[in-house]
Amino acid sequence: MSAMQIDSPPDQAVLVMTRILEAPRELVWVALTTPEHVVEWYGGDGFTNPVCQMDVRPGGLWHHVMRSPDGHEFAIESVFVEVVEPERLVWKGAHDVAARGGPPNAITEVTLQTVPGGTRWTLVSRFESVAERDRAAAMGFAHLITQGVERMLASVRRLQQKQ
Amino acid sequence: MSSDRLSITLHALADPTRRGILARLSQGEATVNELADPFEISLAAVSKHLKVLEKAGLITRGREAQWRPCRLEAAPLEEVSEWIESYRQFWEASVDKLAAYLKQMQRRGH
Repeated sequence: MSAMQIDSPPDQAVLVMTRILEAPRELVWVALTTPEHVVEWYGGDGFTNPVCQMDVRPGGLWHHVMRSPDGHEFAIESVFVEVVEPERLVWKGAHDVAARGGPPNAITEVTLQTVPGGTRWTLVSRFESVAERDRAAAMGFAHLITQGVERMLASVRRLQQKQ
Repeated sequence: MSSDRLSITLHALADPTRRGILARLSQGEATVNELADPFEISLAAVSKHLKVLEKAGLITRGREAQWRPCRLEAAPLEEVSEWIESYRQFWEASVDKLAAYLKQMQRRGH
Protein backbone atom coordinates (compact mmCIF):
# COMPACT_ATOMS: atom_id res chain seq x y z
CA MET A 1 0.00 0.00 0.00
CA SER A 2 1.43 3.36 -0.98
CA ALA A 3 2.02 5.96 1.70
CA MET A 4 -0.97 8.14 2.42
CA GLN A 5 -0.88 11.79 3.24
CA ILE A 6 -2.97 12.08 6.37
CA ASP A 7 -2.01 15.47 7.76
CA SER A 8 -3.48 18.41 5.89
CA PRO A 9 -0.82 20.56 4.27
CA PRO A 10 -0.89 24.23 5.35
CA ASP A 11 -2.38 25.34 2.05
CA GLN A 12 -6.00 24.17 2.00
CA ALA A 13 -6.95 26.19 -1.05
CA VAL A 14 -9.50 24.93 -3.52
CA LEU A 15 -8.68 27.45 -6.17
CA VAL A 16 -5.43 29.28 -6.84
CA MET A 17 -5.03 31.64 -9.78
CA THR A 18 -2.39 34.14 -10.71
CA ARG A 19 -2.13 36.70 -13.48
CA ILE A 20 0.11 39.60 -14.43
CA LEU A 21 -1.92 42.76 -14.95
CA GLU A 22 -0.36 45.57 -16.95
CA ALA A 23 -1.12 48.33 -14.52
CA PRO A 24 0.42 49.76 -11.36
CA ARG A 25 -0.62 48.09 -8.13
CA GLU A 26 -2.37 51.18 -6.78
CA LEU A 27 -4.59 51.31 -9.86
CA VAL A 28 -5.45 47.62 -9.61
CA TRP A 29 -6.41 48.22 -5.97
CA VAL A 30 -8.73 51.03 -7.02
CA ALA A 31 -10.32 48.82 -9.70
CA LEU A 32 -10.86 46.07 -7.11
CA THR A 33 -12.32 48.17 -4.32
CA THR A 34 -14.27 51.00 -5.96
CA PRO A 35 -17.84 50.04 -6.91
CA GLU A 36 -17.96 52.28 -10.00
CA HIS A 37 -14.99 50.30 -11.37
CA VAL A 38 -15.88 46.84 -9.99
CA VAL A 39 -19.17 46.86 -11.95
CA GLU A 40 -17.15 47.20 -15.17
CA TRP A 41 -15.40 43.82 -14.93
CA TYR A 42 -16.95 41.60 -12.26
CA GLY A 43 -18.43 38.44 -13.78
CA GLY A 44 -16.69 38.84 -17.14
CA ASP A 45 -18.16 39.43 -20.59
CA GLY A 46 -21.92 39.40 -20.87
CA PHE A 47 -22.56 40.04 -17.18
CA THR A 48 -23.65 43.36 -15.75
CA ASN A 49 -23.71 44.46 -12.16
CA PRO A 50 -26.80 46.51 -11.37
CA VAL A 51 -25.87 46.93 -7.69
CA CYS A 52 -22.48 47.17 -6.02
CA GLN A 53 -22.03 48.64 -2.56
CA MET A 54 -18.73 48.15 -0.77
CA ASP A 55 -17.70 49.16 2.71
CA VAL A 56 -14.02 48.32 2.34
CA ARG A 57 -12.81 47.66 5.88
CA PRO A 58 -12.66 44.54 8.09
CA GLY A 59 -16.25 43.65 8.92
CA GLY A 60 -17.58 45.90 6.17
CA LEU A 61 -20.28 44.57 3.85
CA TRP A 62 -20.16 44.07 0.09
CA HIS A 63 -23.69 43.98 -1.29
CA HIS A 64 -23.68 42.99 -4.95
CA VAL A 65 -26.22 42.07 -7.61
CA MET A 66 -25.07 40.39 -10.81
CA ARG A 67 -27.15 40.01 -13.94
CA SER A 68 -26.40 37.13 -16.30
CA PRO A 69 -26.61 37.48 -20.10
CA ASP A 70 -30.11 35.92 -20.06
CA GLY A 71 -31.36 38.50 -17.59
CA HIS A 72 -31.31 36.50 -14.35
CA GLU A 73 -30.24 38.48 -11.33
CA PHE A 74 -28.66 37.15 -8.20
CA ALA A 75 -27.44 38.86 -5.09
CA ILE A 76 -24.07 38.12 -3.53
CA GLU A 77 -23.54 39.21 0.05
CA SER A 78 -19.98 39.27 1.32
CA VAL A 79 -18.08 40.65 4.27
CA PHE A 80 -14.50 41.89 4.23
CA VAL A 81 -12.12 40.04 6.52
CA GLU A 82 -8.81 41.76 5.85
CA VAL A 83 -7.99 45.00 4.02
CA VAL A 84 -4.34 45.97 3.50
CA GLU A 85 -4.08 48.63 0.83
CA PRO A 86 -2.71 48.14 -1.81
CA GLU A 87 -1.57 44.55 -1.28
CA ARG A 88 -4.24 42.26 0.18
CA LEU A 89 -8.00 42.00 0.17
CA VAL A 90 -9.81 39.12 1.88
CA TRP A 91 -13.57 38.59 1.89
CA LYS A 92 -16.02 35.80 2.50
CA GLY A 93 -19.65 35.02 1.85
CA ALA A 94 -21.90 36.62 4.44
CA HIS A 95 -25.02 34.56 3.89
CA ASP A 96 -26.22 31.66 5.96
CA VAL A 97 -25.83 28.65 3.69
CA ALA A 98 -28.89 26.69 4.80
CA ALA A 99 -31.21 29.68 4.79
CA ARG A 100 -30.18 30.97 1.39
CA GLY A 101 -30.00 27.62 -0.40
CA GLY A 102 -26.92 28.67 -2.31
CA PRO A 103 -23.50 27.10 -2.64
CA PRO A 104 -21.25 26.92 0.43
CA ASN A 105 -19.43 30.06 1.47
CA ALA A 106 -16.03 30.75 0.00
CA ILE A 107 -13.34 32.84 1.61
CA THR A 108 -11.28 34.55 -1.03
CA GLU A 109 -7.94 36.29 -0.74
CA VAL A 110 -6.56 38.52 -3.47
CA THR A 111 -2.97 39.72 -3.18
CA LEU A 112 -1.26 42.27 -5.38
CA GLN A 113 2.49 42.34 -5.88
CA THR A 114 4.49 44.84 -7.95
CA VAL A 115 6.49 43.01 -10.63
CA PRO A 116 8.26 44.03 -13.87
CA GLY A 117 5.50 44.82 -16.32
CA GLY A 118 2.86 45.65 -13.76
CA THR A 119 1.16 43.79 -10.96
CA ARG A 120 0.90 40.12 -10.09
CA TRP A 121 -2.70 39.42 -9.07
CA THR A 122 -3.15 36.22 -7.09
CA LEU A 123 -6.44 34.76 -5.94
CA VAL A 124 -6.73 31.97 -3.38
CA SER A 125 -10.16 30.66 -2.53
CA ARG A 126 -11.22 28.18 0.14
CA PHE A 127 -14.63 26.88 1.08
CA GLU A 128 -16.35 26.71 4.42
CA SER A 129 -17.91 23.39 5.30
CA VAL A 130 -21.28 23.08 6.95
CA ALA A 131 -19.61 21.95 10.16
CA GLU A 132 -17.36 24.97 10.27
CA ARG A 133 -19.65 27.77 9.22
CA ASP A 134 -20.56 28.56 12.82
CA ARG A 135 -17.00 28.66 14.02
CA ALA A 136 -15.98 31.91 15.67
CA ALA A 137 -12.52 31.92 14.17
CA ALA A 138 -12.18 33.76 10.86
CA MET A 139 -10.08 30.94 9.46
CA GLY A 140 -12.82 28.24 9.62
CA PHE A 141 -12.44 26.85 6.12
CA ALA A 142 -13.31 23.53 4.58
CA HIS A 143 -10.08 21.62 4.10
CA LEU A 144 -10.35 20.51 0.53
CA ILE A 145 -7.47 19.92 -1.82
CA THR A 146 -8.46 20.32 -5.47
CA GLN A 147 -5.61 18.23 -6.74
CA GLY A 148 -6.48 15.51 -4.25
CA VAL A 149 -10.04 15.39 -5.57
CA GLU A 150 -8.83 15.25 -9.17
CA ARG A 151 -6.30 12.52 -8.37
CA MET A 152 -9.00 10.48 -6.68
CA LEU A 153 -11.31 10.95 -9.65
CA ALA A 154 -8.62 9.80 -12.07
CA SER A 155 -8.03 6.68 -9.96
CA VAL A 156 -11.73 5.93 -9.70
CA ARG A 157 -12.19 6.24 -13.47
CA ARG A 158 -9.28 3.87 -14.03
CA LEU A 159 -10.84 1.47 -11.53
CA GLN A 160 -14.21 1.66 -13.24
CA GLN A 161 -12.66 0.86 -16.60
CA LYS A 162 -11.15 -2.30 -15.14
CA GLN A 163 -14.48 -3.45 -13.69
CA MET B 1 -26.00 20.18 -7.51
CA SER B 2 -28.15 21.33 -4.60
CA SER B 3 -26.47 23.34 -1.89
CA ASP B 4 -27.30 20.70 0.71
CA ARG B 5 -25.62 17.91 -1.29
CA LEU B 6 -22.57 20.04 -1.97
CA SER B 7 -22.29 21.09 1.67
CA ILE B 8 -22.62 17.50 2.86
CA THR B 9 -19.94 16.40 0.43
CA LEU B 10 -17.59 19.21 1.44
CA HIS B 11 -18.13 18.42 5.11
CA ALA B 12 -17.28 14.79 4.43
CA LEU B 13 -14.11 15.87 2.63
CA ALA B 14 -13.17 18.39 5.32
CA ASP B 15 -11.35 15.84 7.44
CA PRO B 16 -7.84 14.53 6.73
CA THR B 17 -8.60 11.01 8.00
CA ARG B 18 -11.61 10.76 5.72
CA ARG B 19 -9.54 12.04 2.81
CA GLY B 20 -6.95 9.40 3.65
CA ILE B 21 -9.66 6.75 3.59
CA LEU B 22 -10.88 7.96 0.20
CA ALA B 23 -7.32 8.03 -1.13
CA ARG B 24 -6.92 4.39 -0.10
CA LEU B 25 -10.27 3.44 -1.66
CA SER B 26 -9.28 5.16 -4.88
CA GLN B 27 -6.78 2.30 -5.24
CA GLY B 28 -9.50 -0.35 -4.84
CA GLU B 29 -12.06 -1.77 -2.42
CA ALA B 30 -11.04 -2.37 1.18
CA THR B 31 -12.54 -3.70 4.39
CA VAL B 32 -12.90 -1.64 7.54
CA ASN B 33 -9.89 -3.38 9.08
CA GLU B 34 -7.75 -2.67 6.04
CA LEU B 35 -8.84 0.99 6.10
CA ALA B 36 -8.14 1.35 9.82
CA ASP B 37 -4.67 -0.12 9.50
CA PRO B 38 -2.61 3.02 8.69
CA PHE B 39 -4.38 5.24 11.21
CA GLU B 40 -3.66 5.32 14.91
CA ILE B 41 -7.33 5.51 15.83
CA SER B 42 -9.83 2.91 16.96
CA LEU B 43 -11.98 0.80 14.66
CA ALA B 44 -14.97 2.60 16.19
CA ALA B 45 -13.53 5.95 15.11
CA VAL B 46 -12.96 4.64 11.59
CA SER B 47 -16.53 3.36 11.50
CA LYS B 48 -17.78 6.82 12.41
CA HIS B 49 -15.81 8.31 9.53
CA LEU B 50 -17.19 5.65 7.18
CA LYS B 51 -20.74 6.59 8.21
CA VAL B 52 -20.08 10.23 7.28
CA LEU B 53 -18.64 9.18 3.93
CA GLU B 54 -21.52 6.81 3.28
CA LYS B 55 -24.09 9.49 4.12
CA ALA B 56 -22.40 11.81 1.62
CA GLY B 57 -22.63 9.11 -1.02
CA LEU B 58 -18.87 9.07 -1.36
CA ILE B 59 -18.62 5.36 -0.50
CA THR B 60 -20.87 2.35 -0.67
CA ARG B 61 -20.48 -0.71 1.49
CA GLY B 62 -21.00 -4.30 0.48
CA ARG B 63 -23.53 -6.46 2.22
CA GLU B 64 -21.43 -9.55 2.95
CA ALA B 65 -21.58 -9.68 6.75
CA GLN B 66 -18.01 -10.86 7.26
CA TRP B 67 -16.26 -8.42 4.99
CA ARG B 68 -18.45 -5.38 4.13
CA PRO B 69 -15.98 -4.04 1.61
CA CYS B 70 -16.08 -0.28 1.08
CA ARG B 71 -16.01 1.21 -2.38
CA LEU B 72 -15.40 4.79 -3.53
CA GLU B 73 -18.21 6.38 -5.57
CA ALA B 74 -17.29 9.00 -8.14
CA ALA B 75 -20.48 11.01 -8.57
CA PRO B 76 -20.23 13.35 -5.54
CA LEU B 77 -16.55 13.99 -6.24
CA GLU B 78 -17.39 14.84 -9.82
CA GLU B 79 -20.07 17.25 -8.69
CA VAL B 80 -17.66 19.01 -6.34
CA SER B 81 -15.05 19.10 -9.08
CA GLU B 82 -17.55 20.63 -11.53
CA TRP B 83 -18.58 23.22 -9.02
CA ILE B 84 -14.97 24.23 -8.33
CA GLU B 85 -14.42 24.41 -12.08
CA SER B 86 -17.37 26.76 -12.58
CA TYR B 87 -15.98 28.97 -9.82
CA ARG B 88 -12.62 29.02 -11.57
CA GLN B 89 -14.27 29.95 -14.87
CA PHE B 90 -16.09 32.82 -13.18
CA TRP B 91 -12.78 34.23 -11.98
CA GLU B 92 -10.97 33.62 -15.27
CA ALA B 93 -13.67 35.59 -17.08
CA SER B 94 -13.67 38.32 -14.46
CA VAL B 95 -9.93 38.86 -14.45
CA ASP B 96 -9.84 38.84 -18.26
CA LYS B 97 -12.29 41.70 -18.19
CA LEU B 98 -10.38 43.40 -15.36
CA ALA B 99 -7.18 43.26 -17.43
CA ALA B 100 -8.89 44.93 -20.38
CA TYR B 101 -10.62 47.48 -18.16
CA LEU B 102 -7.33 48.46 -16.50
CA LYS B 103 -5.91 49.31 -19.94
CA GLN B 104 -8.99 51.41 -20.61
CA MET B 105 -8.58 53.18 -17.26
CA GLN B 106 -4.98 54.08 -18.08
CA ARG B 107 -5.91 55.34 -21.56
CA ARG B 108 -8.43 57.62 -19.89
CA GLY B 109 -5.68 59.03 -17.70
CA HIS B 110 -6.30 57.26 -14.38
